[in-house]
Amino acid sequence: MPAMIEVVRVWKVYSVGPVKVPALSDVCLRITKGEFVVLTGPSGAGKTTLLRLLYRDDLPTEGDIQVLGYDLGRLRQGEVAALRRSIGVVFQDAKLLPVRTVYENVAFVLRVLGTPRREITQRVFDALRVVGLSSRAQAYPAQLSQGEAQRASLARAIVRKPPLLLADEPTGNLDQAMEAEILDVLRDIWAGGTTVVLATHRADLARMLRRRTITLGSGRVVKDEG
Amino acid sequence: MLGFLIGEAVRDLRRAGRVAVSAVVLITLSLAALGGFWLLSLNLERAVARWRERVRVIVYLKREPAPSEAKALVERVREVPGVAGVLYISKTDALVSLKQLLGKDASVVAQLPANPLPASLEVTPAAAAATPEGARALLERLSALPEADEVAGSVDWVERLSQWQRLLTTIGLGIGVVLAVAALLTVTTATTLILHARRQETEIMRLVGASEMTIRLPLLLQGMLQGLTGAVIALAALVATHSVVAPRLEPLVNITLDLPQLAFLSPINVLALVLAGALLGGLGGWLARAKA
Repeated sequence: MPAMIEVVRVWKVYSVGPVKVPALSDVCLRITKGEFVVLTGPSGAGKTTLLRLLYRDDLPTEGDIQVLGYDLGRLRQGEVAALRRSIGVVFQDAKLLPVRTVYENVAFVLRVLGTPRREITQRVFDALRVVGLSSRAQAYPAQLSQGEAQRASLARAIVRKPPLLLADEPTGNLDQAMEAEILDVLRDIWAGGTTVVLATHRADLARMLRRRTITLGSGRVVKDEG
Repeated sequence: MLGFLIGEAVRDLRRAGRVAVSAVVLITLSLAALGGFWLLSLNLERAVARWRERVRVIVYLKREPAPSEAKALVERVREVPGVAGVLYISKTDALVSLKQLLGKDASVVAQLPANPLPASLEVTPAAAAATPEGARALLERLSALPEADEVAGSVDWVERLSQWQRLLTTIGLGIGVVLAVAALLTVTTATTLILHARRQETEIMRLVGASEMTIRLPLLLQGMLQGLTGAVIALAALVATHSVVAPRLEPLVNITLDLPQLAFLSPINVLALVLAGALLGGLGGWLARAKA
């Protein structure tokens, strides 16, 4: 299977004054198209740092990263935008725009990318259907439960039908019932052909999902199983 | 896409609220001041141009020449540098003109024992001689003619009018520029507030791969919208003021400056003001956008 993500001997070192703090140390991993990968490890293990490198929010101090055929170390500004158009990202905080409805939040992504207006309605409702939020399309973020807000965030991430979805602790703020809902949605998205990388500090969640699990510890890959 | 960008710009303007209103007010004031002084200057310039065309230098002759001599004299004066045209006025012609000028009192002339008026040459200066220096040089050249008894005429007051016109233009530009700088700073402040208010949108836009143009264009557009709104209000105020004030001032300027009408700005001037507004607002948005 072709590699969708290839991380080769990546280091990320932050400088805090004269002190160098390694967030990632010599990380190597390969994720192929269609995989559902759980990235786990305790807080501070480097999960978020790795995800940020994958959607080119930051650059590694050393090493090479290839995502969807892009060599992230050599991307120009316009190519970064092109890469991100192929990646959906969700965070622990849903990051919804408070003055826009659920529909407008999801449609916003399509509108900034110049999608024809006649396509937007159909695609937004398709995405809301996948996350089970069609009936809440006209609600504002303040009127949503945390689980609904996170589902809206997922709808926004998948409305462009990206081949890769990166989810950084998407269930971090949710209770057990809501967490199960979000995991179900992620599984549905994966079943639809999207490669999913889910970062979570919860080892039990990784076991429950029974998918490939990469465990990070102090910035290193300590286990890759499943 | 353009509809979306304009929609975002309008949404941003609503967010900026009072600061955006202040920016529009300042743009309005600066363009109204600029336009007002421009109007004054434009009309004074018209008066100066009219009066420049009417400047004549009169060369009073020591004695009335014979018709053949008069013709030769006219030809000779026409060759003098700075002369555009020459008209010979005989003593008889001068007396006829005086009678016409006196109108119903023309009978006074009949009581004169002889025609006291001298023959003269009415000289139209060339454009180059219609300046104070040029006119002085021309007067010197004409005074040197052996036939000349006295030379009368000056463009000094026309030049003074022209200086007033230039002064008004400078004052207008000065006030306009000071207000424009204030407007520019206010637009920049409004845009900086907008930047802060839309940081979440900007973050989402970057995250989903929007182009830098899509991210920054709404900022430029909202600045331009502020500028255009200010320009339109300023123009409306100028039109209203002109339509109210001009009819009341026209009798006065007709007498003093011989201007039958006070003209309004030409369509090109109006377009320039509107563009200046858009440019001013756009520049404010552009300066702030560097922080995006």
